[in-house]
Amino acid sequence: MKEITEKTQTIAARLFDEGKIDIFIAWEQGELDFQVKSYVARSKEDVKKIIFSEYAIYNVANSLLKFRDGHERIGIAVKGCDSRGIVRLLEDLQIKRERLYIVGIPCPGLKDPLAAARNYGGFSKKTESDGLARKCLECVQPNPVIYDEIIGPAQSPRQQGERFARVKELEQMSPDQRYEFWEQTLSACIRCYACRQVCVACDCRTCIFDEMKPQWVGRENSTTDNMMYHLVKHAHMAGRCIECGECERVCPVNIPLMLLNQKLIKDVGAFFGGPEAGLQYVEGAKPPLSVYRLDDPDSFL
Amino acid sequence: MKSLMEFIGIEPERYQVAWISGAEGIKFQETMAKLVKDVKQMGPNRKLRDAQ
Repeated sequence: MKEITEKTQTIAARLFDEGKIDIFIAWEQGELDFQVKSYVARSKEDVKKIIFSEYAIYNVANSLLKFRDGHERIGIAVKGCDSRGIVRLLEDLQIKRERLYIVGIPCPGLKDPLAAARNYGGFSKKTESDGLARKCLECVQPNPVIYDEIIGPAQSPRQQGERFARVKELEQMSPDQRYEFWEQTLSACIRCYACRQVCVACDCRTCIFDEMKPQWVGRENSTTDNMMYHLVKHAHMAGRCIECGECERVCPVNIPLMLLNQKLIKDVGAFFGGPEAGLQYVEGAKPPLSVYRLDDPDSFL
Repeated sequence: MKSLMEFIGIEPERYQVAWISGAEGIKFQETMAKLVKDVKQMGPNRKLRDAQ
């Protein structure tokens, strides 16, 4: 980790020296060990603040959205999942490839800062989380898919056993059992919209859930409105979710949101085929649900 | 969408999709008749609503 930090700092400093970039996006250390935030270095002096630690789990591709209207040339350090996020933004024409200088970090698997924060409370004051974050245990793409420069050797995917095992388990249930399961899980939702904020695929400027006139989705904190919110949000994620698992990680009430996303990934794969979202960047390519083709399968509707 | 609705626990009979052109009146009539028949068989929907 230290090695990666040093290499990233060197590369960032070099890029600033060469005048290739105006800002560099990576992570910075917060107050406690596990508090690692997204960080924007604006000059060579800022570079020393950049770190990469086992808690640098935040998907920095999301930070690019703050700069989508500007003209800065951006250097950015990405893990495997973040790089898929960048492909996502490029496909959506949110940012131009020429503006980016991508430094890839093959990710060894990280820990969940929120799990560490939970351990930190109480008398133990333990600042460790137990093992890798769940999203990292299910990671299928730890290596960056798009980069100008890469640090360190490639890592192998950590996803074990049958893919979509959790989804398949739920599919075996009867409709009533499934409804009961979702009713229980989704009724816990407090509509904080953290899952939306942290999502790289959620890059609309005007969000359907913020609109008041007309109000498309009820804002009441009831099971019905919660279910509507999650159905609508995840239906929009179909074919775009890059499986970075951030939504599920940030959820304060631990709703298994990736279940919905994985179900959609599985379906989109079954109906449209092709690689999963953000796994490869082809200029001008569009995710299957962003375009209309005459041979689109009806069954997806 | 349909498979997502099923995944969340809605019976597949309640949500049906069909392509019908404006010129296909009879097909529309048949589809609607089938939908109504299916839903009547299912009985009232208690899901996705608070008023029980």
